[in-house]
Amino acid sequence: MRRNFLLLPLIFSLAGGCATQPLPTSHLPPLKNTFPADGFVTQRALFTAHGRQFALNGYLAVSATGGWRFIVTETLGSVMADVLVKPDGKIVVMQSSRLFPEKYIRRLMVRDLQCIFGKTNDADCPVKKLDANHFLIERRGYSLDVRILEIKPGAQPAELFDETYMKTK
Amino acid sequence: MKKFYLIAFALFRLTVFAADDSLKPATNPQALLQDLQQKMASVSSVYLELTQERHLKLFSEPLKSEGVMLIESPDRIRWETTAPYQAILLGDKKSVAQFEFSDGKWEKLKMGFPQLLQRVMQQMSLMNQGKLEALTNDYAISVATGDSTVMTLTPKGKSVREMLASLEVKMASDFSATREVTMNEPNGDFTRIRFHDEKRNVKFPAGTFDQTKPLAIAAVQAVVKNAP
Repeated sequence: MRRNFLLLPLIFSLAGGCATQPLPTSHLPPLKNTFPADGFVTQRALFTAHGRQFALNGYLAVSATGGWRFIVTETLGSVMADVLVKPDGKIVVMQSSRLFPEKYIRRLMVRDLQCIFGKTNDADCPVKKLDANHFLIERRGYSLDVRILEIKPGAQPAELFDETYMKTK
Repeated sequence: MKKFYLIAFALFRLTVFAADDSLKPATNPQALLQDLQQKMASVSSVYLELTQERHLKLFSEPLKSEGVMLIESPDRIRWETTAPYQAILLGDKKSVAQFEFSDGKWEKLKMGFPQLLQRVMQQMSLMNQGKLEALTNDYAISVATGDSTVMTLTPKGKSVREMLASLEVKMASDFSATREVTMNEPNGDFTRIRFHDEKRNVKFPAGTFDQTKPLAIAAVQAVVKNAP
């Protein structure tokens, strides 16, 4: 198991050496037209790294004024990552894990999130849209297969976008 | 009108307290646990349908999923999520396997944390067979009885306590059915699994616990639901 926990730093170092750079954080890109400006999106994802696969659940709350809040849990429900992206692009990692260290969340997870949900420069986003609700991101070191399960439009609680309010843990 | 509200409030309080009061700490939990284990010893298999609600304080609504759990003595377990996505976990004392349904087919995963998952699934299997005494190395166990029987397992290890404050298993008072399991986290978040349509001592069809190509749940259910 320990070996698996060591995979992510390796992926991080590999991806860090790629030509693609982290997305600029001067602003949060607007959402693609297929997603509501305010809403809650549930996803199921398969994260593959070094031949190992991790089934994950993703929960994305979006607010036109508050930003994005993204929480990732593993099969048994434990929170693996919790990140808040403010409208000005500021990234606040609320919770990290041994599987997803803070550096990974900050530089890769947020980027992938923006690639799927935001209007971003396609050159930085190797996303294949397999169908309307199915996306595949393939980067050096890992791949991410994401299926959108449910999109619930509607305003989200303001606390979700307040980094001082509470953490998931 | 004010009097009406006062009476209504008093009745509400009485109802709430009556519900709370129905459970009292067992004076001899050891005897109850032995009784449970004895009763469950005659149960060779269990089929349960379940609804799971994960309550995160951050979200206004719980995260819901549905599925089934199948256990066959001595150590085989199948946990299948049927909605909002489809996934299967299979385990026995030797190994675990995980499958995801995508693009119209099942894919067996090359799992990242098989040992952790295997341990959790073994513990789930032991709990559902009433073998709680086997868990006393890892958990302190207390029992409360009343309209139902609630066993509370509190982790002894610090690392587990950081993720799990306690685990409550609620059963019918005569142990004839498992009603719900609640996993409480240290920060107040919790996951509640409610069980229904429990069937005991059913003969599962071949392939139900196959870790290479598990039988489709619809085929398993067709057998289970037609069993006498």
